[in-house]
Amino acid sequence: MNEKTPQMRRPFSLKRFVRNVVFLAVAVVVYLYGWKVTEINLGVLIRDVKDIKPLVVDLVRPELMVREEQSRLITYEYPIPCPENFQPKPAEAMGMQLEVKPGCGKADEITVTLRNARPNTSARVEWHFPIGTDQLLVQGTTDENGSLRLRFKRPVATIGGEKGLHGVKITLYWEEGPLRVSDTVKTVADKMVETVFLALMATTFGVIFAMPISFFGARNLMMTTKWGAVVYYLVRLVFNILRSVETLIWAVIFVVWVGIGPFAGVMALTVHSVAALAKLYSEAIESIDPGPIEAITATGASRLQTIIYAVVPQVIPPFIAFTIYRWDINVRMSTVVGLVGGGGIGYILIQYINLLQYRRAAVAMWAIVIVVSAMDYLSGYVREKIV
Amino acid sequence: MLEIRNLNKIYPGGVHALKDVSFTVEDGEFVVLIGLSGSGKSTLLRCINRLVEPTSGQVIWDGVDITAAAPSELRRIRRQIGMIFQQFNLVKRLSVMTNVLTGRLGYVPAWRSLLNYWTAEEKRMAMANLERVGIADQAWKRADELSGGQQQRVAIARALMQQPRLILADEPVASLDPATSHSVMKYILELNRRDGITVICSLHFLSLARQYGTRIIALRDGHIVFDGKPEEIDDRRFKEIYGEEAVEVEIR
Ligand SMILES: Nc1ncnc2c1ncn2[C@@H]1O[C@H](COP(=O)(O)OP(=O)(O)O)[C@@H](O)[C@H]1O
Ligand SMILES: [Mg+2]
Repeated sequence: MNEKTPQMRRPFSLKRFVRNVVFLAVAVVVYLYGWKVTEINLGVLIRDVKDIKPLVVDLVRPELMVREEQSRLITYEYPIPCPENFQPKPAEAMGMQLEVKPGCGKADEITVTLRNARPNTSARVEWHFPIGTDQLLVQGTTDENGSLRLRFKRPVATIGGEKGLHGVKITLYWEEGPLRVSDTVKTVADKMVETVFLALMATTFGVIFAMPISFFGARNLMMTTKWGAVVYYLVRLVFNILRSVETLIWAVIFVVWVGIGPFAGVMALTVHSVAALAKLYSEAIESIDPGPIEAITATGASRLQTIIYAVVPQVIPPFIAFTIYRWDINVRMSTVVGLVGGGGIGYILIQYINLLQYRRAAVAMWAIVIVVSAMDYLSGYVREKIV
Repeated sequence: MLEIRNLNKIYPGGVHALKDVSFTVEDGEFVVLIGLSGSGKSTLLRCINRLVEPTSGQVIWDGVDITAAAPSELRRIRRQIGMIFQQFNLVKRLSVMTNVLTGRLGYVPAWRSLLNYWTAEEKRMAMANLERVGIADQAWKRADELSGGQQQRVAIARALMQQPRLILADEPVASLDPATSHSVMKYILELNRRDGITVICSLHFLSLARQYGTRIIALRDGHIVFDGKPEEIDDRRFKEIYGEEAVEVEIR
């Protein structure tokens, strides 16, 4: 060993040590608080896994094809109060027999017995009020003999009073006949077309507005004069503000403004697209080769002519690339603006989910997967061909 | 006659690139500007057509003060001054033909440029100029498909479209190999000899300057350190221009 051996360890520094400890302490506090604030609860994730089961199960069996729904209805007339000399008598219809016990009056609990009905068939029991409304009570299935017995609490009329001729309605329903494309598929296809056109319109409007504006947001073109600089900073400021507001929030704003529907979605996507595209376009303009600008200016060309011949040809490829990129984003975003009322597929998806119609929601979800990946593939192909 | 009077340029960063530069160029002269890189050659050339705005001083051309010209007048002056650059500065994605036609923009109304409309006469003129520099057969290729020497000839054709009375060339052959350099320099020389166009051309190498210039102006740190005939540059003057350590190399 000679004395010139360099020190292998960095010398200890109290300042650096304290700084590291403080940094660590701050980090611990931040993450502990974050864990609490966001109510992270891994227990729930495992415990309630059963709640997601119906959704997942239905997701793999979207309601694509259905058979014609058939139904049979039988109604028992239920008077309140009981008339004098009341003789309980079962109702009969299409060979079925419906017995109700007790058959009249303000009973608390009622038993219904259905006989000679279609075997192994779903049935729905509804209460019919004198004012003409129905209330679903219970559901069941007939046995192999076509019989069904159910007990339920008699519903109390909230409006219109108790007196009058009520009814107990049983509807048997089943599917029969050839498979046909479900109405859900038609609705989803309809909304998907709306979604794609929503993205198309928003992207087109975005390009139309962003393209001319982007020239005013390009440093290399605007910084040549004082007023140019003023315009430049103004344009940049406005677009930074517009861009910082997410598309979904714009959708909420436009739903308030122009009402629920695809127009609100188009406006929301357009505003965000204009701001985002203008920034990308401006940056494309800023990164061009300044040589041709110099050369064309030197020929005595005007500012406009210089832009047409020296700037525009150079920015066409990046403009196309950024437009395709934006189209991709807009297709994705157009599937979600509907969640807040902006039209498109999201609008019916959220409705199906709220109505617990998971098999229908599944159709919408698969449609989104297919269309978004198809558009992805398409834009990738176009990008390869053009740029 | 071009008169440069007490020209100064101080860049925003504080670099004093031209210091009280004055000289006069008679019509038909072939002036070569030499000097180390950073000596101010590009700045001087750009101050003449005001691609760079001089800080003080005047550029007077046939009695007209270019430095005082309003924007529209400046454009009318610029269209009579062709400019050739080291990097050719063609618009790469446009055809050779369109690149040449852009030399005419100073004479063309804006609406025609918006439509990219050129008259038959302009196209004929562009073809003639391309023929003159020997690359008419390349007219419909994209500019970036051409070799460096060919691109510089396109740039010369573009300058010719302006029907210039003065050509400013900023190291026009610095990006080219020696053989191509000479062919490009010969075209520029021909413009001077045959068409009587005044040329101010900056060159990096003294050997090229000696070969083509009838007069040499040397810059060092923004000052003129020599103004005279090529043969007057002896060893002592050479060291004044390029510094003590420099040795003259020959470009053939
Ligand atoms: N746009 C600019 N901004 C600031 N300084 C510049 C600019 N262009 C050139 N300069 C400086 O001015 C001086 C002269 O440069 P230039 O005219 O390009 O010299 P040359 O063409 O002889 O190499 C150099 O010091 C250079 O760094
Ligand atoms: Mg230079």
